[in-house]
Amino acid sequence: MSNQWFIKGVKKGILTEGFPQSPPEKPPLRPSLLNGSSNFKCPVGALDENKWNPEKCIFCDKCSMEMHFTGDQKLFKINRKMNAFKRSLYIYIIDSGTCGACNAELFNIFSPQYDANRYGIFLTNTPRSADVLVLMGVETEGMKSVLEETYESMPEPKCVVKMGTCAISGAGIGSKISSLEPDALIYGCPPSPYTILEALIELKGDKP
Amino acid sequence: MRYYKFNVRDGYYIGETRQFSIYEKGMIRRDEPLERLQIIPKINDKNHFNFQYGPATGGLIESLDFKIITNGEAIKGIVVNPYVKSRTMRCLNKTIDECLLLVERINGYHSASHSIAFLSAVEDALNIDIAEGTYYGRIVILELERIRSHLLVLKRMCEPAGFGVPMYQLSYINEIITRIISDISGHRYFYSTNKLNRVDVDFGLLSSYIQTLIKIKREFENIFNGLLESKIFINRLQGNGLIRDDPLIGPAARAAGFRRDARSNISILPYKELNFEPIIFNEGDSFGRFYIRGLEISQSFDLCINALERAEQSEYNYSNNFSGEGAARLESPSGDLFYYVNIDNGLIKDIQMSSPSYLNLKSFIKSAINTIFTDFHFNFESFGIWVSEVGVEFI
Repeated sequence: MSNQWFIKGVKKGILTEGFPQSPPEKPPLRPSLLNGSSNFKCPVGALDENKWNPEKCIFCDKCSMEMHFTGDQKLFKINRKMNAFKRSLYIYIIDSGTCGACNAELFNIFSPQYDANRYGIFLTNTPRSADVLVLMGVETEGMKSVLEETYESMPEPKCVVKMGTCAISGAGIGSKISSLEPDALIYGCPPSPYTILEALIELKGDKP
Repeated sequence: MRYYKFNVRDGYYIGETRQFSIYEKGMIRRDEPLERLQIIPKINDKNHFNFQYGPATGGLIESLDFKIITNGEAIKGIVVNPYVKSRTMRCLNKTIDECLLLVERINGYHSASHSIAFLSAVEDALNIDIAEGTYYGRIVILELERIRSHLLVLKRMCEPAGFGVPMYQLSYINEIITRIISDISGHRYFYSTNKLNRVDVDFGLLSSYIQTLIKIKREFENIFNGLLESKIFINRLQGNGLIRDDPLIGPAARAAGFRRDARSNISILPYKELNFEPIIFNEGDSFGRFYIRGLEISQSFDLCINALERAEQSEYNYSNNFSGEGAARLESPSGDLFYYVNIDNGLIKDIQMSSPSYLNLKSFIKSAINTIFTDFHFNFESFGIWVSEVGVEFI
């Protein structure tokens, strides 16, 4: 019976796409980089003095009469590259207060289309063997101490990634996660797997 | 209110909002606080100890706090705190559009269900008749959401069994569905897709995907049938997490033989016109819930394709200054989802929601007693619980 699944798997062939060496095959329109300027009153204040702020944007489409979604998935900022993790990067996730979409998108980078494992990116079930702590969701009372204890129990060197508008700015739902300084920010509500994968590859100082 | 009546305890139990106990056809004001989600064994045995699982753990998608009372192998009691990541939504005194941005972020994976249930309650308060094309458009996106959600549950059930190949094959199909959703709506999770009397989806483009949908339905059925033939896999599910009595809703209820499906017993969406009949099974265990979800995926592909013929975008016109009270319920992928709204001069004065995950968590705890640790994940995943929708407070 186990042979049956092995054969079924082999028969499917390679399903992984060329990204990030080649452009994304199906990039979503939202979230993606926004072009243009507008004095539209953004519900989450992502248009400050006509300038777009990706940290606050929830990509709700309300300003689309004047602003233009480009489809470009480069929606991240790396504050500190972690070359020590060039060969492998083990991720531990903390959901501080998400809607579940960020969680799902992070797991999606391990689906056959993206296959993050080929870049040495893995999930780990314990902070003791984690290199990077990925924080998602708004700050919540119940998760505050969990988040700090998790970071403390990670070995050095270590880094922190804030993923999604909730963790970065609160997204109009609550407060951003304030306790840890991020080494990378991944924008989006939720960020697409393309954005997450490219950001993690760049964070670990690897070449796509 | 066209669909709901106050002070009526009629039909099966749906769940709890902040102030009301909800039933199939009515709602009753509740004075007591919600009961705690726990089963503590009546034993005084020094061989039992508490095992902490969560809130942050790689085994769960979301943060959830379990205290498991065990003798080492069997689960004798559970105390769950689903409020560890509770969020507060500032909806009161906001307009419908402002509130909608928050409502669709209550549960991102079931965003279409939440936004349509909320909008249906608002439309009930507004007392307007919805265009036929909008009704069918809503069915199309709800069924796409159901396919994706059920696929995730089945995928998560393959993982603890070490069934890597079907798990990745289901992930692959899941991503194709997500990309179709993204293409037709502009967003992978239907955010900003639903409006009052309108569904912002390119139905013409979705029609061009019909052959793809038929192909992936066939592909899914091959994987599903392969799993059904695998004795190793099925043995992990059969008899695990058996529950046959209340509180049961959604796929868990249908797996246990109850004919409970908001698609067939409430008229806010015209499922009857599509000859919809709920699929019922007679095993209340993890296998039953797995089996029902598998069959419902195939059914949802057909419903989606049939509804697409009559789906269209309608005009989006309504007055900003209306007042009223409305309530609506629909079948989300995890079960009955209920919204109540009170609107004054276009602003939300009260909003209450009953999520299926609260009752599913309750049923899960009940079903997990006397199962063993290695059964835990199969059983938990089979209920399709989303913690994000349990602990939401509207202010």
